[in-house]
Amino acid sequence: MLITGIKSKPIYAPLRFDEGGRYHLMLGLGVGREPLRRVLDEVRDQQALAVARTEVLYVPAAGDTGKATDQFALPGLAAVCLFGNSNALLEDFRARLGRSLMGTRLYVAGPESFIGMAMKVALDFNLNKDEIRAEECGTLARRVRCIHCRAITEDVKTNIAQCIGCGLWLLVRDHYSRRLAAYMGVMADAEAPGELPEIREVFL
Amino acid sequence: MSGGQTIEVVVKAIEQVTPLIKHFQLASPRGEALPAFSGGSHVIVVMRGEARVHRNPYSLLSAPQNLDSYEIAVRRMDESRGGSHFMHDRLRVGSQLEIAHPVNLFGLDKIARKHLMIAGGIGITPFLAQLEDLHGGLVPYELHYSVRSAEHAAFLARLQAREQEHVHIYYDSENQVIDFEGLLSKQPLGTHVYVCGPAGFIGRVLDAARGCGWSPSHVHWEQFSAPPTGDVFQVQLARSMKKIVVPQDSTLLEAIEAAGVDVPYLCRGGVCGFCQSKVIECDGELLHYDHFLSDAEKAGGKTIMPCVSRARANHLVLDL
Ligand code: FES
Repeated sequence: MLITGIKSKPIYAPLRFDEGGRYHLMLGLGVGREPLRRVLDEVRDQQALAVARTEVLYVPAAGDTGKATDQFALPGLAAVCLFGNSNALLEDFRARLGRSLMGTRLYVAGPESFIGMAMKVALDFNLNKDEIRAEECGTLARRVRCIHCRAITEDVKTNIAQCIGCGLWLLVRDHYSRRLAAYMGVMADAEAPGELPEIREVFL
Repeated sequence: MSGGQTIEVVVKAIEQVTPLIKHFQLASPRGEALPAFSGGSHVIVVMRGEARVHRNPYSLLSAPQNLDSYEIAVRRMDESRGGSHFMHDRLRVGSQLEIAHPVNLFGLDKIARKHLMIAGGIGITPFLAQLEDLHGGLVPYELHYSVRSAEHAAFLARLQAREQEHVHIYYDSENQVIDFEGLLSKQPLGTHVYVCGPAGFIGRVLDAARGCGWSPSHVHWEQFSAPPTGDVFQVQLARSMKKIVVPQDSTLLEAIEAAGVDVPYLCRGGVCGFCQSKVIECDGELLHYDHFLSDAEKAGGKTIMPCVSRARANHLVLDL
């Protein structure tokens, strides 16, 4: 009973600098560093003012111990902040948006779950599509929300996964909620309890 | 359908509020409640003169909570094609009018974190109704109103009575100007700006917003300008098989309507897109005055907004 047809899976384009913006706030996780570096190359070609109005928030991949300046070698940036995990980054991001002015553009690079979480914060500040750019890279693992108990299971790589909340086996659908930044998970063996389709790693 | 079914109203009160602006109160002749609307809405007033019918859009400025009557304000235009002169000179208390159902093309963004309203002259009207919606709410707002002089400032008492801390008034007569750049460069994230006034005024706000890095989805504007007049031209309506002449001081849409052909419309100001009509043939130049079509569409010559646009051609055929 794999349900297809509902595909609200977001589609992302390669990250580019937005010359229309006045302030630029960039978020990255792990391999998201590459797209950000690419955008920073574009920033370098702008006037010095653009560099001074650009901030970078980044979570290095595990084991990556480089300093902030090594990660993003562009002198004159308003800020380069490194974080140990995405929650810490998002907390700082939220505080920053609270102080930000109209004219700010947001750039996000990383796995879809990270992009989704960042978008969710941005939505609280009424940032619209024309102010946000995102590029998906890294793992395709999904955040899955159980429609039965509403718990969110992180980092799901398989088509069928056990809910961390109620323990049900969930079928991971393509139905994506921007508000929750999660895919929907539906009981997989509802028709024949205990009979599960083959479990495969599909979101890598 | 032409803007939908009309509502009959009677003029209940008229007040000359500034040397150029008259304020009208319209109510149902039977004392019934009028249709509900939200702040920023306009109505099209149908004026049946002897020679011709005018249909002009006017913002509703009364409180949306009060449906006993609608209020509109009409500025007397120097070169009126007749609409504003009709309203100023011909209407008396008790006059009957037809209006179309209110339509809102200038509503406040529902999830904005702040509203920044900028009005020039008569452009204050849609904001008066919006202020009623905002009053006592949680979303911060500011109104910046630029006007010739205190004498010309319509509804000053209304603004000053209740909204003092939110309202900033600038008089040309005292060389007070709104610093658009300054204003737009310090707004918190999630602010929406709304501007209504003369074309040049709106243009300067839009330029400043772009310069300050505002994204288009946060910038809203409304302009009710009299559609431009121009040379006489001829049009053929292919489907209704009519040949009509568009006089100098009449719009293409008015001429089509006068010939008995209905074209849907909402704004009659070149912004809503409803009146868009297909051009089948044109051996000359289309004069696009609308704000709806993209530059590419305008250059393409396949489509026209008859509420404001005209043509310089000998042979123009529309799919109507
Ligand atoms: S009626 Fe709105 S664009 Fe013509």
